[in-house]
Amino acid sequence: MTDTEDLLNETVLPEDLKKYEKVYHEQLHGGSVTRQAQFNYAWCLVRSKFPVDIRKGIILLEELFRSAADAEDERRDYLYYLALGNCRIKEFSAALQYTSAFLEIEPGNAQVKTLEEVIRKKMEKAEIQEGIKGIAIISGVVLALGSIVGLGMALSKK
Amino acid sequence: MSAGPYNYEYIFKYIIIGDMGVGKSCLLHQFTDKKFMADCPHTIGVEFGTRIIDVAGQKVKLQIWDTAGQERFRAVTRSYYRGAAGALMVYDITRRSTYNHLSSWLTDTRTLTNPSTVIFLIGNKCDLDSADGSQRDVTYEEAKQFADENGLMFVEASAKTGDNVEEAFLETAKKIYQSIQDGRLDLNAAESGVQHKPPQLGSDFTPNKDPCSC
Ligand SMILES: Nc1nc2c(ncn2[C@@H]2O[C@H](COP(=O)(O)OP(=O)(O)OP(=O)(O)O)[C@@H](O)[C@H]2O)c(=O)[nH]1
Ligand SMILES: [Mg+2]
Repeated sequence: MTDTEDLLNETVLPEDLKKYEKVYHEQLHGGSVTRQAQFNYAWCLVRSKFPVDIRKGIILLEELFRSAADAEDERRDYLYYLALGNCRIKEFSAALQYTSAFLEIEPGNAQVKTLEEVIRKKMEKAEIQEGIKGIAIISGVVLALGSIVGLGMALSKK
Repeated sequence: MSAGPYNYEYIFKYIIIGDMGVGKSCLLHQFTDKKFMADCPHTIGVEFGTRIIDVAGQKVKLQIWDTAGQERFRAVTRSYYRGAAGALMVYDITRRSTYNHLSSWLTDTRTLTNPSTVIFLIGNKCDLDSADGSQRDVTYEEAKQFADENGLMFVEASAKTGDNVEEAFLETAKKIYQSIQDGRLDLNAAESGVQHKPPQLGSDFTPNKDPCSC
């Protein structure tokens, strides 16, 4: 039994995020950012607690993916973290597209298959929760209606 | 299941480190799934595994972070060292360069973990040392000496046959547990790498429950 969900719940330490953010920005101001610096920063961002950070990380990873057309071994890393980042902001179908793109290139990769499984589970869970929330909203409406009806009846009795 | 009911009393955090291709992920899979992956691709960033074990009659959940050895992951994998109670440092007995890099892995570990972190040295792929045509490139004796000089625990193991794999993970846990008993490891320290789960918090905690089916 492996609860790989912990992999997605683990978050970056703020000081690490700051450290790699600084390097990235210094290079950006200097006019050219190395893929390594951008990757380090993006890796921290997609592990952040805050969805805005994760979204920023995803943009940086997409950029890296496009710019590393010549480096297949790096592109697999970017795909992996694109899947992880998208899962963490609950963009499940995007996340699954990235894992399946990866598995097309490397069908047997156990690490990515595990991630795909976790994404599927999270997606199901979210759907169930949404379902329950939906019911709660409906019953809330029913309750509100009920009390209005009750109030109306109480008023008409006067 | 991260927030589910507890069927363990402690969580120990481990990291597995060492050069790429030495067999870190295979050791993890052998330990968690009792399987050997003959064709294991390079790890991307970090992989994660857990297993609940028994240490001195107590259930302990090991949370294991298997780091990627490829150079481009080096910067960020360092952040996983923090708060590790155990570090398995792996080299490949058939590749001398992986042994030569141990002192730099050790320096990183000592700098980024705390003094109570248990470091266990594993010389992996010992199945490749057969009487006829050994591929061994590092002798047992010199590695043992390195381990003794640096106060590390040490075995030669094989992720392929499973030889000494259990031992490495379990002995590390025993040593950590001893440190807790001796008070050398402060459970309240934020980065001790150990969490204690008081049994009364677990809603379905039953002390005599069968060992977990993992
Ligand atoms: N003969 C033999 N081969 C092994 C053993 N352990 C691992 N291997 C092989 O060595 C290769 C690398 O193993 P991995 O577990 O992927 O190595 P790693 O240290 O995780 O590598 P990175 O993820 O790149 O850091 C794989 O092809 C394994 O099948 C072992 O004990 N004996
Ligand atoms: Mg690996």
